[in-house]
Amino acid sequence: MNALDYLQFVLAPQVVNGLALGVAVVLVALGLTIIFGMLDVINMSHGEFYAIGAYAALALGAAGISFWFLLVLVPVLMVPLGMAAERLLIRPVFDSRDRHVTTLLVTFGLALVVEDLLKVAFGPNTQRPPTPIPGAIELAGIIVPNYRLFLIVVGAAIVTGVAYVVYRTRLGAMVRAAAFDRNMAASLGVPVALVYAGTFAFGVALAGLAGVLLAPIYSVFPTMGRDFILLAFTVVIVGGMGSIWGAVVAGLLLTQVQALASLVISPVWTDPIVFGTMVAFLVFRPQGLFGRLGHA
Amino acid sequence: MRDRLTLSMRASHLLALIFVAAALALAAIGAASGDTFYLRLGTEALIFAGLALSVDLLLGYSGALSLGQALYFGIGAYVSALTLLKVPSFWLAMAAAGGVTLVASILGGLIANRVRGVYFALITFGLAQVVAKVVYNTRELGASDGMIGIPVIEIGFGPVSVSAGNPVGFFLIVLAIIMGLYGLTAYLLDTPFGRVLTALKANEKRVPFLGYSVWRARMFSYVLAGLIAGLSGALYPMLRGFVSPELMFFATSGNAVISVILGGVGTLIGAIYGSVLLVVLKSIIGSWTEHHLIVIGLIFMICVMFLPKGLVGFIRPRIEERLLAGAREPAAPSFTSAQLEPGSAKP
Repeated sequence: MNALDYLQFVLAPQVVNGLALGVAVVLVALGLTIIFGMLDVINMSHGEFYAIGAYAALALGAAGISFWFLLVLVPVLMVPLGMAAERLLIRPVFDSRDRHVTTLLVTFGLALVVEDLLKVAFGPNTQRPPTPIPGAIELAGIIVPNYRLFLIVVGAAIVTGVAYVVYRTRLGAMVRAAAFDRNMAASLGVPVALVYAGTFAFGVALAGLAGVLLAPIYSVFPTMGRDFILLAFTVVIVGGMGSIWGAVVAGLLLTQVQALASLVISPVWTDPIVFGTMVAFLVFRPQGLFGRLGHA
Repeated sequence: MRDRLTLSMRASHLLALIFVAAALALAAIGAASGDTFYLRLGTEALIFAGLALSVDLLLGYSGALSLGQALYFGIGAYVSALTLLKVPSFWLAMAAAGGVTLVASILGGLIANRVRGVYFALITFGLAQVVAKVVYNTRELGASDGMIGIPVIEIGFGPVSVSAGNPVGFFLIVLAIIMGLYGLTAYLLDTPFGRVLTALKANEKRVPFLGYSVWRARMFSYVLAGLIAGLSGALYPMLRGFVSPELMFFATSGNAVISVILGGVGTLIGAIYGSVLLVVLKSIIGSWTEHHLIVIGLIFMICVMFLPKGLVGFIRPRIEERLLAGAREPAAPSFTSAQLEPGSAKP
């Protein structure tokens, strides 16, 4: 096989698949990083909210609701869920002395409960909704499944939209102000409690949206959140906790490392490489590639 | 003035004595009725109590939440299993497991202690995941199946020897080892070094101004915790005859954290009570539904939010009052022990 063929039939498809996975990871990590940057809360149940979104898409899709409507409906349904979780679980312990550890533990408990509830409701088996856009197209000699292409485009649009809202609008300025100095923001008229609840719910809704988008590719099963959240945490840490651009860069970079490394070594060894990168980053640059939300 | 921390520790020791008495009673009943199942279950609970003890040493005293303590537990279990497959000697297996976890926890500590707070939690999580995945994919270590066929050993104490296959005998040996680890930890925490750890949790920034090295204290507690986890893990293959990568997975570390929260953070004996409580809860709930995690997760959340000092944190102040009254020294009303105890989550 000559070099050009290798490029076209081995390397390029791997890069495209890596890109689709990268966009998927960034979508999950986006909500995680916003919640951390804003509320200083490590949401250990983020993966379970992602799973709830995927199951909601599966159940409602089976009830005959079209995929395109679900893309809007599921995130909207996730908002009250996120609001309730914030009000009932995060708010009561938010001012405890060790907020990081306490909120991490509470959301860890929530993750245990939700995962088992999903098992009760939907059974332990893996399910997969039909692909909304079947078929594949050829781009510059590379065959790309249509849905993956759609995912890459939509994912890029969502990330850009979120970044625009956070960094360029008045609402985003309020969010960043509340993250930077809660008391100062409150005295300037920012409804801090509402902003906190809203941000948490927004992060949860993003997780749900990621669930809807990724279910046709990565299947739906009760522990899906746990498997994905590891990668998402890695991305958030490497990118810098709370940084949107950091999550994007780290997400795309790490998944490319994973995709390309699996060409050279056995795919089972790519996970240690990815987590090894996270450990190395935590050791040498704990603040990650970029700074925190509201601090840059 | 009486030292409140010593008093708390003494109350913990009283609870430890009650625990040992209950365990001995269970062993006697088990021996009389010829039971195997409950004694083996109790032994397993004790082994995981050792892991929980190491999590409490980190979380309750130096304030560092480890989400990957199962790493050292798993390393201890694998080293012990590998040793037993070559030479069926209890003491050699324990020494090898202790030695390897000592080295591993020094390495892990050098990495993890560069960061603190939530980053510490995530780095310990990441370290355990990396090693677990490597073990999971290494054929020489049995890959995803783990290693089976570990021989039942004779544990010799000079002239007498006890078989690890004897439920009562092995239960008592594990009880002695775990309570020994508890006693060692409690002793070390009552030394000036232990007070540095408590100070670290209370206010890390002030500790260096008092002339103590924060890094050294954190490192020492991390290595000690790793060693405790490793020695507990070394007992696992002797009980079950196999090891599997699940021993290093997050579920194992998570169970230890749940045990500590249920039992009471920063009480040491709470970790041991919590571990037993978790096993009891799992078997009771498991008898009418396989989805026990819903109930355990809910209890865990309620504990974190409303009972941050856990079961022992709820009981222990009452024992302290008794101890104080016994010493005929009236307690100053404005000076409650809750303010001084390590592991307090309330400001």
